[in-house]
Amino acid sequence: MSTLTIEQIAVGYGDSIIIDGLDVTIPENKITTIIGPNGCGKSTLLKTISRLLKAQKGSVYLDGKAIHQLSTKDIAKRMAILPQTTETPSGLTVYELVSYGRFPYQKGFHSMKKEDVEAVQWALEVTGVTDFSDRPVEALSGGQRQRVWIAMALAQETEILVLDEPTTYLDLAHQLDILLLLKSLNEKENRTIVMVLHDLNHASRFSDYLIAMKDGAIVTEGTPNEVMTAENMEAVFDIQAIMTECPLSNHPICLTYQSSKGV
Amino acid sequence: MSRTKNMTEQDSSQTIKVKTKSKPITGVLVLLIGIIGLIFAIGLSISFGAADIDLMTVWSAVFSFNGDLTSHQIIQEIRLPRVLGAAIIGACFSVAGAIMQGMTRNPLADSGLLGLNAGAAFMVAISLSFFPGLSYQYFLFFSFAGAAMSTIIVFGIGSMSRLGLTPMRLVLAGAAVTALLTSLSQGIAIHFDLEQDLAFWYAGDVSRATWENLEYMFPWVLIAFIGALFLSRSITLLSLGEEIAIGLGQRPTLIKIAGFIVVLILAGIAVSMVGAVSFVGLLIPHLTRFLVGHDYRWIIPNSIVVGSLFMVIADLCARMMNPPNETPIGALIAVIGVPFFLYIARKGGKGL
Amino acid sequence: MIEHMSTSKTEQKKKRKFLMITAICFILLILTFIFSMNTGANSQSPSEVFQTLIGNGDRQQHLILFEFRLPRIVLSVLVGIGLAVSGCVLQSISRNALAEPGLLGIHAGAGLAILMFVSFVPVGVLNSTYFTPVFALFGALFSSFLVYRFAHKRNEGLLPMRLILTGVAVQAGIQAAMIVLTIHLTPERYETVAYWLAGHIGTTSWDYILALLPWLIIFLPIVYGKVRVLNILHLGDPLAISLGTDLEKERKILIGAAVCLAASSVSVSGSISFVGLIAPHLAKQLIGSRHEYYLPISALLGALLVLLGDTIGRVILAPSEIPAGLVVAVIGAPYFLYLLTKSNV
Repeated sequence: MSTLTIEQIAVGYGDSIIIDGLDVTIPENKITTIIGPNGCGKSTLLKTISRLLKAQKGSVYLDGKAIHQLSTKDIAKRMAILPQTTETPSGLTVYELVSYGRFPYQKGFHSMKKEDVEAVQWALEVTGVTDFSDRPVEALSGGQRQRVWIAMALAQETEILVLDEPTTYLDLAHQLDILLLLKSLNEKENRTIVMVLHDLNHASRFSDYLIAMKDGAIVTEGTPNEVMTAENMEAVFDIQAIMTECPLSNHPICLTYQSSKGV
Repeated sequence: MSRTKNMTEQDSSQTIKVKTKSKPITGVLVLLIGIIGLIFAIGLSISFGAADIDLMTVWSAVFSFNGDLTSHQIIQEIRLPRVLGAAIIGACFSVAGAIMQGMTRNPLADSGLLGLNAGAAFMVAISLSFFPGLSYQYFLFFSFAGAAMSTIIVFGIGSMSRLGLTPMRLVLAGAAVTALLTSLSQGIAIHFDLEQDLAFWYAGDVSRATWENLEYMFPWVLIAFIGALFLSRSITLLSLGEEIAIGLGQRPTLIKIAGFIVVLILAGIAVSMVGAVSFVGLLIPHLTRFLVGHDYRWIIPNSIVVGSLFMVIADLCARMMNPPNETPIGALIAVIGVPFFLYIARKGGKGL
Repeated sequence: MIEHMSTSKTEQKKKRKFLMITAICFILLILTFIFSMNTGANSQSPSEVFQTLIGNGDRQQHLILFEFRLPRIVLSVLVGIGLAVSGCVLQSISRNALAEPGLLGIHAGAGLAILMFVSFVPVGVLNSTYFTPVFALFGALFSSFLVYRFAHKRNEGLLPMRLILTGVAVQAGIQAAMIVLTIHLTPERYETVAYWLAGHIGTTSWDYILALLPWLIIFLPIVYGKVRVLNILHLGDPLAISLGTDLEKERKILIGAAVCLAASSVSVSGSISFVGLIAPHLAKQLIGSRHEYYLPISALLGALLVLLGDTIGRVILAPSEIPAGLVVAVIGAPYFLYLLTKSNV
């Protein structure tokens, strides 16, 4: 069990504070998606949760313990992160890269143990990249590469997965693949998933919990039914949205929209 | 090191926001102050020397020359060409450096990166060892040819791949060619006992500027400066990233070739004339960018002015420090430049 | 189960490849050794070498092998290992293909120290054979310390890119100081410096090897113990943090080790600069960038390169010797350029 709570954090880059005094609790074993306009601080919040940024005030708590007091290797066994930007390292095969996900479990000079190999196998398989596990990562297409990065995060075998825009730059079918994969991980293995998505309808369809942010603060949070309302869309994105229900998930989705400021 | 697609696109959307900020008013201001400072520095530099000459005499020597006065002759024959040479060479290195940094998007780039210094040094080593009695003009020509040779090799090898000339390939090719040619010239120098001569050549010497040399180089330099100004807009766009430049209707390969020709002319001439003092070319573009922002339409003209001002002052200091001996100008430039560069590295040096 | 089999098979394939490349490197090292003994003044044939090694050679053969050739060969190998491993570590943690020990001011600092020794210590006061390496070592450590001090910021820690920029600046400063010192030297005295700067493993003895060995014995295992950390650091900061590395701490340890390896190597060998850059590139081309394999192969290639460079430099224009550093660059650079035309960076 891992609960993530964020208490009164202030965080930013250098002198510019982006988020000041934010509280939120990430529900356990659920898919939580942070939505909001560009520059609202959603990636900043995600980076703070995943300890890539250190909060200047307040703290992120994992099971009641402040994350900067826990050993980073212990956190790595409980929380895996897929950053928004990844630099492809040269000279690595897919298998090798995914096996790096086992780093937090390895000690001393020992090579991969049986459970390490199995974890890597499993991660390659569920992400559907087993077929090209011998290929160099550099030779893959964008969609394949993204799946490889997710495979690496999965090989880390953590209860919590933090993903910053995992579907960006993927085509419709590949976006769906990734989200369905995350959904099934959540359903079958009770993983807690926190992510940032730009596509509101995907966010609504695949999430149990939504956090809507604007100007570094949370405007509203709750189930998709609570958050995905025309009023909230207006408040968060300054759009007049026409909402309807997704026949697949029964969650509200935005059919179309226009600018609140008039055309 | 290839990046994933989202990295590049993410990056460039951010750089647009940051980099298109230019400061026209500061630009004009720096330009004006720079020019006034330059004129003053040139006057000061001419008046200082073994025979002290006051500024009024400098004025009259330049604008109403009287061949009977020794002071006027010293000014016309020795000091004026030297100080003009220093100014022009400072401008050459600076503009070349600015173009290199813009085109490669690498803050460490200067003309030395293209193997220019090493190429020139290589030919200097060859002409010193195999043709010791060479006249100065031929010597100049030789080292320029060396610079051109290495630039062509670097450019050629950098382009020999299906991805074309990426900044990273350029840097790597430049490093390898530099290592090769430096080693060869060191080897030649050791074999012919010319180590110290080569070290002196590297140290730089502005006194090699005479009216005759200036006449040779001036038209070329002028053409290259005009070329650089013409290219400045394209270089700004290229500095935002190749794909964006293409999107905005630029032809990167053409710009790069033109840019390298300009760099070769400017830095090649400067290197063959005074030696490898190209640290100026690394320093001045950073300084001007710090002052006027990221638009090369401002950076390049300002680099001309700031670069020449810097070089004239450096030359003046080199002569003043320990008269009648001259401190090598390369050493002096480093003494001024290193603390400044450390400051830049400390302030920035983050997302480069 | 079948999947499992196939992947471990590819793992085994890689391991086999690694062992094969290692074996080839060793064979080439031995061949170079034999070639080195077999050429030049006082050459010995392979069988003579073997006889001398097992104690059957005459006194002169014994002297040449054990007092002249062997120390030089062993030193070349050790220096190559030190420089290559140092370069490999620096390239991985900075994720910059151009990073090499020289960029941290190591060669420049050592060079300045040598120049100061030659300029200020009158001939005969200190034994130059023993004191130049000591001076060089302190110079190298001091200048890299300077680079580190300037590059380190309290709230941001040590950023690799800033480290490199700072290194360039410090190097430029040191080179300026060297220019000033050079002017006051007589050509004869400058010649020693020039040889040193070009990387010449000329005068050597077992003492040099004994001086270098402790550094390698301490720092090579430290670096090798960190192969997996290097793997992770190579992925970039966000993922390195995500996977649970203490970035600051690991970087300090690894940069410290890289500096000590390169500084100790350079202090006994002179300024051999291209090895730290090219050996890791070649190794990556051969085996990829997984450090379990990449690091040892880099080390072997470094050893091979320096030994080859020294051997060729000794025989090609005999009796005059070309410094190993120059030969390495002259062989290495074209190959590096060739690689560049084929790679897709």
